[in-house]
Amino acid sequence: MEEVEVAAKKRDEERVASAHAYFDNIHTKRKLLSLVNFILLAAGSLLILSPIWWMISTSLKSMAEVMTYPPTFYPREWNWDNYIKTWKAAPFDTYAINTITITMLVVIGSVLVNSFIAYGFAKVPFKGRGILFAIVLSTMMIPGFVTLIPQYVLFSKLQWINTYFPLVVPAFFGSAFFIFLLRQFYMTIPNELIEAAKIEGASHFRIWWTIGLPLTKPALATVAIFSFNGAWNDFLGPLLYLNDESLYTLQLGLQVFKGEMNTQWNYLMAGSLLVLLPVIILFFFFQKYFIQGINLQSGGK
Amino acid sequence: MFSKKLLPLFFAVLLVLSGCAGFKTGDSKSADSGDKVVIDFWSFWGSEIRRPVIDKIVEDFNKSQDKIEVKHTFVPWGDIWTKELAAIAAKNPPDVVINDINATALRGQKNQAMNLSQFLEKDDISDRFYEELWNATLYEGDSYGIPFNTDTRILFYNKTAFKEAGLDPEKPPATWEELWEYAEKLDVKNGDTYDRIGFYPLWGVNSDVWMLNSDGKNFFDEDGAPIIDSEANRETLEWVLDWHKKYGANTINSYKSQIDSQQGNPFFNGKLAMYVNTPTFYTQIRDYAPDLDFGVAMLPEREPGSGNTSWGGGFVAEIPQGSKHPEEAWEFIKHLTDVEAQEYWAVKNFDNVANIKAAENAAKNSEMPDKDKVVYQMAIDNMENTLLTPVPVHAPDFMNLVNPELDSILLGKKSIEQGLKDAQQSLEKLTEKSK
Repeated sequence: MEEVEVAAKKRDEERVASAHAYFDNIHTKRKLLSLVNFILLAAGSLLILSPIWWMISTSLKSMAEVMTYPPTFYPREWNWDNYIKTWKAAPFDTYAINTITITMLVVIGSVLVNSFIAYGFAKVPFKGRGILFAIVLSTMMIPGFVTLIPQYVLFSKLQWINTYFPLVVPAFFGSAFFIFLLRQFYMTIPNELIEAAKIEGASHFRIWWTIGLPLTKPALATVAIFSFNGAWNDFLGPLLYLNDESLYTLQLGLQVFKGEMNTQWNYLMAGSLLVLLPVIILFFFFQKYFIQGINLQSGGK
Repeated sequence: MFSKKLLPLFFAVLLVLSGCAGFKTGDSKSADSGDKVVIDFWSFWGSEIRRPVIDKIVEDFNKSQDKIEVKHTFVPWGDIWTKELAAIAAKNPPDVVINDINATALRGQKNQAMNLSQFLEKDDISDRFYEELWNATLYEGDSYGIPFNTDTRILFYNKTAFKEAGLDPEKPPATWEELWEYAEKLDVKNGDTYDRIGFYPLWGVNSDVWMLNSDGKNFFDEDGAPIIDSEANRETLEWVLDWHKKYGANTINSYKSQIDSQQGNPFFNGKLAMYVNTPTFYTQIRDYAPDLDFGVAMLPEREPGSGNTSWGGGFVAEIPQGSKHPEEAWEFIKHLTDVEAQEYWAVKNFDNVANIKAAENAAKNSEMPDKDKVVYQMAIDNMENTLLTPVPVHAPDFMNLVNPELDSILLGKKSIEQGLKDAQQSLEKLTEKSK
């Protein structure tokens, strides 16, 4: 009897031990796997972040150090005042205010107008809707450079050269890509909802405003982010349409550091980082929507 | 509910619009200050070195008389001409623009720049400038831009390295053969790599400069017929390929990427003993390698007597077609290219200017340190050897045809004979087509 018990106990212990060994094994395997994962991801991020580091380190070097061969990995002297000098090298305060003004208006316009148009295409049945929508989409096929000069001539005839109108007004007339994006999103909203509101006596305007806008927030955030980036980083538009330096934007301002022979790399990098900052901050705040936006783009919704 | 929320927003937007300078329509140029005519002047000189110099020149002009007010606007380098083209197309161009000298005739032919002969008949200022520069501005005998600044290519050499290699630091190489001998002596090999490279012809300039140097002939003759497939050009490319073999593709590419990055140059720290570049390269040595003991010389000759021909370019001040105040623009251009403004530009920027007298004055100017003067004098002396290669109006994009052939020769994909023959043929076809 005792012997049996002892044997049973022993068997149990062995089982537990082997189970321990098994789970230990799995555990270490998982740990190892996650370590490998971590190393791979860290190496990947380092690789992707290295240009940013190069920007930061160049922005803090003196020009003499930028020009040394072989290049130094981190600055020998940390010239933090490069940033102040950069900001003072041109009227960057004005440029920042100008860029913010343009960007804000473009974002407001893009969000409201495109959403309104998309609502029409998705929820208001009318004759020729399909054809009209196809025409809108077809404008995406025309490369921007083809319409550049005719557009410029048009704005010039309107006396809009050297004003912000050519940069802002087009945003209030819809963009094919945003319309498409928002229309696809509206399609996922059940028609019953719209009809119910209609029965309650709401106009399309009101339905769009009170039901459409809140329900399409994620898509609107995507539009806002894309249009922000577009307007903030726009170079060609301000270049062509603005003649007064007091109206210049940040992207034009950065060009003072580039010349026909020499480039002031340290100032250019410092300036570029400062200009890049709002975009990065925006990304971290709206990361969720950014990724959703990518899904929307690939038609996952 | 809708209107309550949206209306204030619209008002807010309207308020912003009306308050901002960017939303005032109308032609800015018609807003003349008093009785003065305001003319728009676009340049790409916005750096902290060049900006104050050009602004001072503009200010001097504005103070010198009370009829014309010049408004200078910085437009980014390279993109300035995109903007100019759009403005010309919209018939709303500025009055004076700085543009590339080599394509001046082309802009004349395409009716983008104004024919300046109407002004030159009254006051001929053509003798202010180097003849080679002036000729580059002509299309069918008429000038379409007034030369402002220029450049040339000279040889920089490291005197310390010369001494170490047992060479006379006051005797730079005079021929291609000497250049090779010197480089052999200056090379410092360390296993498979080099601690110091004597010279490589295609850093700083391209093979077309050496082909020009070899016999003083461009790719086109006086009548515009292509002459790229010449004995001298074949020899030049053979010579270039010899250099290529000498150092090997790996060494050459790693140095080239460093030089092209414009962040540091192996010439600064003695890793490269001889280097061809523009005289303004000196300002980089001055700023980034102040202790470097170097000399300057003309480009060596292919063989004694073949000439030290060098290559240059530059910029002109032109009046775009459709300018509303060409008379006033002309007055400003005269000021811009006159001795005083040009000398000031030359001394402050250490830049080659188109005005001969101003260039010579600058080389003697007391504000210039001695070392600057040596390089500047060399730049002026070298102007006699300097040829420009204006883009022929009948073959505007010829380099797009020539470059792939030259590349395949240098990469060993084509023989020199075949490559030059093909280049010659495509150039002939191009000129044939546009005639």
